[in-house]
Amino acid sequence: MEEAAVAFTEVSKVYPGEVKALDRISLRIPRGEWVAVMGPSGSGKTTFLNLLDGLDRPTSGQVQLLGTNIADLAPAEAAVFRRENIGLVFQQFYLIPYLTVLENVMLAQYFHSMVDEGQALEMLESVGMGHRASHLPSQLSGGEQQRACIARALVNDPGIILADEPTGNLDEANEEKVFEIFRELHRGGKTIIVVTHDRVLGNLAQRRIVLNHGRIAEDTYNGNRAGECTASIVG
Amino acid sequence: MFFRLLANSLARRMSRKLLAAFAVWVGISLILAFLAVSIDVGDKMNRELQAFGSNIRLEPVAASVPVRVGGHDVPSTAPPAYLEEGELVTLKRIFWKNNILGVVPRLWTRGKTEGREVPLLGVWFEHKIPVEGGEPFATGARRLYKHWKVEGSWPSDRPAGGRISSLVGDTLARKLGVRPGDAIRVTVPSGPATIAVDGIASTGGREDDAIILPLAAAQALAGREGKYSEADISALTTPENKLAEKYGQDPKSLTPAEYERWFCTPYPGSVAAEIQKSVPGSAARVVRKVSETQGAILTRIEGLMFLLAMLTLVACGLSVAGVLTSAVLERREEVALMQAIGASRESVLLLFLSEGAVLGLAGGLLAAATGSFLGQWLVRAVFGSEPELHPALAVLSPFLGLMIVLAGSIWPVWQALNQDTAAVLHGN
Repeated sequence: MEEAAVAFTEVSKVYPGEVKALDRISLRIPRGEWVAVMGPSGSGKTTFLNLLDGLDRPTSGQVQLLGTNIADLAPAEAAVFRRENIGLVFQQFYLIPYLTVLENVMLAQYFHSMVDEGQALEMLESVGMGHRASHLPSQLSGGEQQRACIARALVNDPGIILADEPTGNLDEANEEKVFEIFRELHRGGKTIIVVTHDRVLGNLAQRRIVLNHGRIAEDTYNGNRAGECTASIVG
Repeated sequence: MFFRLLANSLARRMSRKLLAAFAVWVGISLILAFLAVSIDVGDKMNRELQAFGSNIRLEPVAASVPVRVGGHDVPSTAPPAYLEEGELVTLKRIFWKNNILGVVPRLWTRGKTEGREVPLLGVWFEHKIPVEGGEPFATGARRLYKHWKVEGSWPSDRPAGGRISSLVGDTLARKLGVRPGDAIRVTVPSGPATIAVDGIASTGGREDDAIILPLAAAQALAGREGKYSEADISALTTPENKLAEKYGQDPKSLTPAEYERWFCTPYPGSVAAEIQKSVPGSAARVVRKVSETQGAILTRIEGLMFLLAMLTLVACGLSVAGVLTSAVLERREEVALMQAIGASRESVLLLFLSEGAVLGLAGGLLAAATGSFLGQWLVRAVFGSEPELHPALAVLSPFLGLMIVLAGSIWPVWQALNQDTAAVLHGN
């Protein structure tokens, strides 16, 4: 079987006060899949994402990304793993306010390896932001800031894109632009995991996982149960 | 990219950084000013403390030998001994010549007036000692005995018309009922003499019972031309420490290296030893009470100024730490973002500390100029004299700024690096 992009094995996360955020979750996300993780507030979506990007550790179980159990990595090793393999897209964008859009993209290159201004500019052009390269984040609309954030996430060509409510702060027109970028990325074979409340985005994804009370309440491919879909693909 | 980050961060987020640099600037300016005063205070205060009088007494060897009978000091039975006035010129040729601030040779003799015996004291009132290749050294009672209170006027060493002018000690003046402008007829072994009273002096010492007249006049009256019986010397000295005490207890207990250090430090004892060597037949002794008082005052004032500088350093460090803590807390999302996109702790630390270093150096460089200026102003205001320049303090200033900012920023940056990145970025 091909190595999965993500594999959760009996993963639980319990916060102090016996608050169970995730309860023995197991799932497998093959490479190239576009997954939307949905669910009501408090269902465990954010914890799921924090375990995926290695910023948090499970109480028990294994979280494997591209064959590496990220829960076993020391913080410094997790940072290296993140910059090599994961592109992060945030609801709040988190662009550095005193750097231009281009410099914000180059920042990810700087922490990864070498700065390449031409490549950073190309990445901005690919998300329709080339003309705003020299602007400061405060001079951009929310949608433009999100596209700059996506360009920063993609500039090091990561294997997995993790997005946290990427359309949460956008109007309809800008939402559509972000959807289009994700479609493109999916067509290009990227593994995309999006945590979202947005039903439209959830329906656009290839697979939808719904969490409730820390457990998987629903796992479907284009309306089919994930197990059936996988079985049909494998069969 | 690092320098781009650094430059943009500094250029585009000025307010807090300017506040931090301002805190460093003001703090270090004060520290430098206090340190400058602390360094100058020894020299300046020493000169001010001349008002206490001399701290070294020069006597003929014979007069300085204590005579003790049955554990009690008794007056020496040796005939009075004298020193040569002409030898005093050597005081401005010795190793510690620049530390000699004042000298007054004194000649005691006796005369009779109105049937009572009165002590006569000859001194230099205003005198100049020639100095080889330099300006003559001005000294005399008027400069050395600043604590004397004189009603009337100070006499001249060479009054016009060949008359003898004098100060009369206030106790004796009361007994004789004389006032400035009066004259006293005194009989000495060589005959009678008339002494004009220029002023009444309150000295707080045995001069209060004497007629104080120019040394040359006293020598003529006593028939001791060119002689004096003792000299008061005011010397710029360093407070005594353990090494000086060790020498005082047993000079032979010092190792050669310790002796060299003692010899090359202007302790009252080492200056006195050098004076004694230069004036034949003399014994120089330290007037302990004055030296110790001066030493204690100097040590305390130097300590006080140093303490003020250190307290300012702590206050400056705390205020800079406060400003930087709030600046870093404001940027914790930035730190979290950098860590999330793969920055190592070292690279984030380097960026923030570099920013701090630039601010510290900027504040320190500004303070190098203003601190020196402030220190000079303080010295002028407190001591009314020209301050010394201390280039070492100006060099120290940027380093001090650097250290303060680095010390003030390490903790908040470290806290930011150890924050819960996931909670900051995604909430939890």
